Amino acid sequence: MKLAAHYNKVNIIVTLSVLLIGAVIYFFAIDKITNNRLDEELGEEVSEVITYVHHNQRLPKQFDIDENQVEFVKTNTLNSKPRYFDTTYVNPRKSGDKSGRSFEGGLNFKGDNYRFRIIISSESTVYLKQIISGITLALMLVLLTILSLANRYMINDLWKPFFGLLAHMKAFNVSESNSFTLINNKVDEFTDLDNAIAEMSSRVKSDFLNLKQFTENASHEMLTPLAVITSKLDTLIQDETLKKEHFDQIQDIYGAAGKLSRLNQSLLLLVKIENNLITDNGNLQLHQLINDKLRQFQELSAGKEIRIYAEIGGKEVLVSKYLLDILLNNLLSNAIRHNHSKGNINIYLTDEKLTIQNSGLTSPLNRKSIFDRFQKGSNSEGAGLGLTIVKNICNVYGWDMQYSFVNSLHTFSITF
Amino acid sequence: MKILIVEDEQGLRENMLTYLSEDNNICESCATLADAIAKLASYNYDFVLLDIGLPDGEGFELLNFLKKEIRGEAVIIISARNSLDDRLKGLNIGADDYLVKPFHLAELKARIVAVFRRKSTNSNNNLVFNEIVVNLIGRTVFINDVEIILTRKEYDMLLYFIANKGKVIAKTALAEHLWGDEMDMHDNFDFLYSHIKNLRKKILDVTSNDYLKSIYGIGYKFTDR
Repeated sequence: MKLAAHYNKVNIIVTLSVLLIGAVIYFFAIDKITNNRLDEELGEEVSEVITYVHHNQRLPKQFDIDENQVEFVKTNTLNSKPRYFDTTYVNPRKSGDKSGRSFEGGLNFKGDNYRFRIIISSESTVYLKQIISGITLALMLVLLTILSLANRYMINDLWKPFFGLLAHMKAFNVSESNSFTLINNKVDEFTDLDNAIAEMSSRVKSDFLNLKQFTENASHEMLTPLAVITSKLDTLIQDETLKKEHFDQIQDIYGAAGKLSRLNQSLLLLVKIENNLITDNGNLQLHQLINDKLRQFQELSAGKEIRIYAEIGGKEVLVSKYLLDILLNNLLSNAIRHNHSKGNINIYLTDEKLTIQNSGLTSPLNRKSIFDRFQKGSNSEGAGLGLTIVKNICNVYGWDMQYSFVNSLHTFSITF
Repeated sequence: MKILIVEDEQGLRENMLTYLSEDNNICESCATLADAIAKLASYNYDFVLLDIGLPDGEGFELLNFLKKEIRGEAVIIISARNSLDDRLKGLNIGADDYLVKPFHLAELKARIVAVFRRKSTNSNNNLVFNEIVVNLIGRTVFINDVEIILTRKEYDMLLYFIANKGKVIAKTALAEHLWGDEMDMHDNFDFLYSHIKNLRKKILDVTSNDYLKSIYGIGYKFTDR
């Protein structure tokens, strides 16, 4: 829910309930006051009637007493309690039932007990109440509309710096060197927030820089000893007195050193990709690159007598040549390395999708962990980073990388 | 050739020195930037092998020094940093090649020979090893004046062998040289064997001297002894 909606929700609930409670109290108060006024009027009428009765020694006729209706009913019991109540009556001069206020009381006249009732019109007060309610309702509506409109303008305007900041933060890239620009603002809280974010971003940037330097230094520190190992071995094998067993040992050390250095380079590459540090993007003809790669790998595939079927349509991509090279290298060398001899590789390239299929193990690979770091096939001699690198490169460009096992072919597809 | 090795890691420095100190090469070495500049200020060299991360500064300073003094030394940068930025920076300031650690000494030697050939303007374009003559411009190979047709890989391999003549070359070094940038060979040497076999056969077709010797399980040696 948007900020403005939240704001409006609270505002409307509070205002509505206050206004409603107020309106109810208001209504009862007015009702009470008008009834009191009518009752006073009725009281006057009653005393007028009683005075008339005593003075004229007869019960008044209808026309004698203004427009008010008076009726007398003879009863045996003395009506004890006089009471006031709302009622409706028929006014002969006007059509329809009219609301009125009535008094009922007892009267002793010439030894007889009479119950008498006086009704006066309460139409004017009802009308008054209606008008007042109408005005109150209208006021409520107007107030609500104005409040919500005001809120919306206030939020859009007052919170503008906040949305500016939000946009800034969304665009924030730790590897970019341009610093955070402050937004000039009158609101202290926003200025505070702005400063806090600026400070945080500069801290993050310096941390990132440190980390980058650390990675670089670590790589340097690791590669130099590796270089020493390699050069020592290169020198060692010049010794003509060494025996075959020694050479076997040395070959193993070569292998391990080579693996270590490849591993190190893969890890560094991953760091670079994950931090978006490789930005030499350019428009590349993917089909052309794939054809070049196939030519390059021809020797490898021919060695295993692998049949390659390629169906390659034109596709241009905006990527780093370096990364695309690595991506194709990893995918194709996997397809060849994990293939059996006389196997198949199918490559399809369309405008939306690149698919590479290869025969090999007869059971599917674990689809969940296949792209994880250091996950590798049982007879893979790699470090288990090749597909992780491929996946990460795809992530950089927003491509979707999927593995499936179709017709006993391991299928890797990239959807652009 | 006079070669100056600037490298702070003692083990590596010594091995480079031993490996390169043959073929009438004179090698000197130092471990710091200051020493290197002092040496270069007093003597002329043909070659400088330069580490970028030195204890008292970056190797780039030495490149700037050489550029300012308009010196003719060929420079190969040896660095653990495999970043494009560093590579471009080094090559822009005047380095002739950029070698990333770890590397094989045979690779270093081959690069030195290649850079040296490229730089020496006067020389003829033929590389001669006994009866084998390699024309570097035409990429053609003659043995006893008979041309033998080599594939690209075989040609590269022959050049690599000649540059490292008399040395045992590990097969990992050879595989990395031939395929290093293109693909990860993962200790699979089958392809190497077939190339070696073909090259040896092509040479033996024309000459009776078998220069290419297999050394147990470790590698090869190209030698006339």
